[in-house]
Amino acid sequence: MKLSTKLISFITGSKLAVVLLFIISLPFLVDGLVSEYTNNSLRRQQDKVIRNVKKNGIQHYLQGDDSYGSYTMLKEEYIALEPAKSDLRIDTIKTEQRVVEQDTLTYRILMHTFVVDQKSYLMEIGKTIASINQYNKPLQRIALYVLMSLIVFTLIIDLIFTRILIQPLGKIISTRLVNRKFPFRDHSPAVATSTQDFKYLDESLVLLMEQINDAFEKEREFTANASHELMTPISILQNKMENMLSDEHLPDHMAMKIVEMMKTLGRLKKISNSLLLISRIENEQFAKSATVNLKILIIEVMEEISHRLTDKNLRIDINIDRDTKLKQVNQDLLFQLFYNLINNAIKYNKENGSISITDEMRGNDYLINLQDTGIGITKEEVPFIFDRFRKTNLREQVGYGLGLAIVKSIATYHHIDIKVVSALQQGTTFTLTFRNVISAHP
Amino acid sequence: MKVLIVEDEKTLAYEMEDFLKKAFYVCDLAHTIKSGLEKIGVNSYDYILLDLGLPDGDGLSLLPAAKKHNPDAAYVILTARGNLEDRIAGLDLGADDYLAKPFSLLELQSRMQAIARRKFNIKEELLRLGDFSIDLQKRVIHCGTEQIELSRKEFDLFSYLLLHQNRVLTRMQLSEHIWGTFADDDYDSNYIDAHIKNIRKKLNVHAPTDFLETVRGVGYRIKN
Repeated sequence: MKLSTKLISFITGSKLAVVLLFIISLPFLVDGLVSEYTNNSLRRQQDKVIRNVKKNGIQHYLQGDDSYGSYTMLKEEYIALEPAKSDLRIDTIKTEQRVVEQDTLTYRILMHTFVVDQKSYLMEIGKTIASINQYNKPLQRIALYVLMSLIVFTLIIDLIFTRILIQPLGKIISTRLVNRKFPFRDHSPAVATSTQDFKYLDESLVLLMEQINDAFEKEREFTANASHELMTPISILQNKMENMLSDEHLPDHMAMKIVEMMKTLGRLKKISNSLLLISRIENEQFAKSATVNLKILIIEVMEEISHRLTDKNLRIDINIDRDTKLKQVNQDLLFQLFYNLINNAIKYNKENGSISITDEMRGNDYLINLQDTGIGITKEEVPFIFDRFRKTNLREQVGYGLGLAIVKSIATYHHIDIKVVSALQQGTTFTLTFRNVISAHP
Repeated sequence: MKVLIVEDEKTLAYEMEDFLKKAFYVCDLAHTIKSGLEKIGVNSYDYILLDLGLPDGDGLSLLPAAKKHNPDAAYVILTARGNLEDRIAGLDLGADDYLAKPFSLLELQSRMQAIARRKFNIKEELLRLGDFSIDLQKRVIHCGTEQIELSRKEFDLFSYLLLHQNRVLTRMQLSEHIWGTFADDDYDSNYIDAHIKNIRKKLNVHAPTDFLETVRGVGYRIKN
């Protein structure tokens, strides 16, 4: 999940939780608030009553009666005074029922004893619960509306701000990481941001890429230098031998020795060239800009190699049904890959053996199978056949173990998957998988 | 034909000179860009063989100036660096061919002749060999009026031997010429022998092929 999506969901979620919590607790809050307010107003009324009693005297209210009572027309409020026992001390506010003119109503009642002229009196001030709670619902609704609009407002602000805040990260990802082709030659300007972390991330990425580029350039320089240092002496030796061989007075036995020397030098040349080729592939010095038709390529390889079939009287069957075009590849390298594989299939085959090359589609992947009836590879050796200088099939003293190493590096460079299945004395099958290739029947 | 060899590795330059002299080329040597340019300034050459890694700079930098003085010369780049970029840059600057070191001197001469055919428009006479006449440009062999069909590789092999006639060519030299970098290092294998056998068989139908000799333990030679 993207960071912005995560942040937005978190913000929205947390706000929703706040709203939910508020909706659940709102009735309790309002009730608490109202009862607090009611208690306060009852106390204020109590003070007023006591002030009035002190001003006007208790008899003004009792007028000789046992008690005094006054209530409003709708019986929403009442005030009652009556004499109390002298040792009675009450000062409470509680919810109780009272019967007023045959109506039983629930009141919030303040009861308070006080002393006037050495006599104790009990005062009750009541307010019906219904009248107290009449504003609860609208109050709750208004509170909810205000809260909701606040939440929506802050949510919008948060989303806009998060977006602005995250923007540099998106830019770092899109300019530094997405679709970047190695080596990173294009230098885009630093991403503008005031966030320290993003700045650090961007600078670190640029630095890392520069380091990779440097290492890559150094290796490129090294292969060029190594190539020069290796090839110059080989070149001198080869040309000297060629000139010696052309000497008309050269005795036959010397000529044969020179030919042997040239063969040895040829081997050295081949090995050096192969090693340099592998380093150049790994150093990505080959342009991948060609579009190659695999069927045509394999036919071209066969033209170059078919003379080798006659030696062991081998048969080769090529059944490539599909016209598969590979885009952005290096034709020479792919040629070399198939050449080496087919060459091996010939080299390690048996008399009157055969080689078959077939293709198939598996989902979006295009597969080419190269099957031979050769001497095969043991299970233990299979994992190592692509290693440099690892010679399998020790009985046959041919090859110096670089052919398959080259195959592997070319395959890796082109993201081609290679699988090997082999049975000793029965043959080997190499399966090449080209991912997401569009192929069509001709 | 006059050749300037610009090569800082002196031993190599002498070997090239030695070989080309025997093939009747007149050679001059230069070991630096500076001395190369001096020689190009006074003389006019048919071929300029140019090494890239020279002590006073990249051989490629010599190309534009050299082309000004010697526009008709054929330029062949010789390099041991093996960069693909060098090859492209060299050909872009107007070089006629490119040889990666180590190369065979026979290959060098063969390339020089090919350039001559292409660039100097030299119409070679039909080569005569026994009862056969060979047209290198059209790549055909005739015996009398009859045309003999050789495969592409067979013709390459035959014409290479013919170009270096009276010289023994080893199987390795021959395989490297016709298969290039794909020449395997199993030089003892008989692919060349098989091709020679085919050539002899095809030619023998028309006339004897005594000129095509097998030199035991060394290779093959066309004697003329």
